[in-house]
Amino acid sequence: MKVLPSRSSEWVRPVVSQKPASAIIEIDRVSQVFQTSTRKDHLALSDISLTIEEGAFVSILGPSGCGKSTLLYIVGGFVSPTSGAAKIKGQAITGPGPDRGPVFQEFALFPWKTVLGNVMYGPRQKGVRATEAEAQSRALIEMVGLKGYENFYPKELSGGMKQRVALARTLAYHPEVLLMDEPFGALDAHTRTRLQNDLLNIWERDRKTVLFVTHSVDEAVFLSDKVVMMSKSPGRIRQVIDIDLPRPRRRNELLLDPRYQKYVVDIERMFDESDETGSPS
Amino acid sequence: MMSAAALTRRAAPVLACIGLLAVWQVASLALKNDSFPTAIEAIRAIPDILGDKESLINILASLRRMAIGFGVAVLVSVPLGLLMGRSRAVAAFFNPLLMVIYPVPKAALMPIIMLWLGVGDITKTLVIFLGVSLPVIYHSFEGAKAVEEKMLWSGAAMGLSAAQRLVRIVLPAALPEILTGCRTGLVLALITMITSEMIARQSGAGNILFNALDMGQYDTVFAMIIIVGAMGICLDAIFERIRARLVRWSEPQFDMPLSFS
Repeated sequence: MKVLPSRSSEWVRPVVSQKPASAIIEIDRVSQVFQTSTRKDHLALSDISLTIEEGAFVSILGPSGCGKSTLLYIVGGFVSPTSGAAKIKGQAITGPGPDRGPVFQEFALFPWKTVLGNVMYGPRQKGVRATEAEAQSRALIEMVGLKGYENFYPKELSGGMKQRVALARTLAYHPEVLLMDEPFGALDAHTRTRLQNDLLNIWERDRKTVLFVTHSVDEAVFLSDKVVMMSKSPGRIRQVIDIDLPRPRRRNELLLDPRYQKYVVDIERMFDESDETGSPS
Repeated sequence: MMSAAALTRRAAPVLACIGLLAVWQVASLALKNDSFPTAIEAIRAIPDILGDKESLINILASLRRMAIGFGVAVLVSVPLGLLMGRSRAVAAFFNPLLMVIYPVPKAALMPIIMLWLGVGDITKTLVIFLGVSLPVIYHSFEGAKAVEEKMLWSGAAMGLSAAQRLVRIVLPAALPEILTGCRTGLVLALITMITSEMIARQSGAGNILFNALDMGQYDTVFAMIIIVGAMGICLDAIFERIRARLVRWSEPQFDMPLSFS
């Protein structure tokens, strides 16, 4: 296994997109069987193999029920695959760990903690001193645009704000990989767009590896270096598409860019074709 | 200045009490029954009871048993309920046991417990403990079961062990539900306290009440009922204050107007 570049070298990486060489996550012939309520076996994921390179923004795109979230949970270590294995930096994934930070559609904030308390939770758990953790967390809260809301409880925030807190909370313990499970799926269109923009801005600063699950084609193309298209029943990888668009990406430029439009149209067409021939789940 | 609505809201409980006493007074005067003293007679008897050292010792003994029974029950039931809520094996083991015990009136167990442990403090405290345990276990169980899986995953990703997740995520997340159980438990503690003293007289608030009943001192009987009721209201009010403080983060942000207000 190759020695990975140190954290400092990531900072000096040029802004223009480059293919990072080393694989950080390897998914090797993973299958997942669930028992349905009628005690039948349901093949949620069938023989998935995928390599994710360090520093890449990879989206997993597919219709609901294609097992894309399950795949993310397997990488997170929250679910063990029925067969096959997932690895991070060559090590088999056996459970959750702070090297992989999840952001869920449901936010999953700790409602008894304030915004600051939520963001500080990870660093404190890691053993960072309280004053230091607080300073870092305040900076992160400002970065996600929530300065002034440090002492609010989650119930006092809107959905978009909650997801900003969830992102800050995960970034606070410096995971090497961000695992985002339809993070903007519960938000209205306007909020969703704003969060996509802000996520890209934040991501372009330090280019952490991101695995991003979504069912929105625009979202996947806008954000990603690579889109993994999945089909359902059983959940399979249909195609992996490299999105060769310049960074930093700005929405107003990109929406007018014919290359962007072509990616969106092509991917949508491929899904339409599979809908016509695909069997219902 | 308080608004008219706020004033009404403040005054409503007082008015309700006065109304109840008025109905009592009128009913008693109308029925002219020796075993049904008027409200004023009963209220007059209260200072006699509270001024009597012997009675106060009795009441304090009751409260002490109640506090111990309630406290131990909460300390045992909350961890048990939380474990049941997060572990199918633990739930599968304890659920049938609790199902059997739940519908049994705890006071009905008293004669048996008295045979084993005598008529003293231990028996009565144990009965209070049993009465309080079940609702607290049940609500802790339900609260723990309802904790969002993704919240626990988030904690696991931060490196919290299973035990840490139980104490630092399940416990606070389930706290509103746990405290609802404790509040029910507190009322049940008061009820079992009095019934236990009815079955095993010796000391306590129930002892004063039922002795007075035997001797036909009906004003004392009703005065004791008022005192026990007042104790219940005070304990509940104190508990509610503590509860509201602990789970302020989960309460609805604004008082929603009710449909008929």
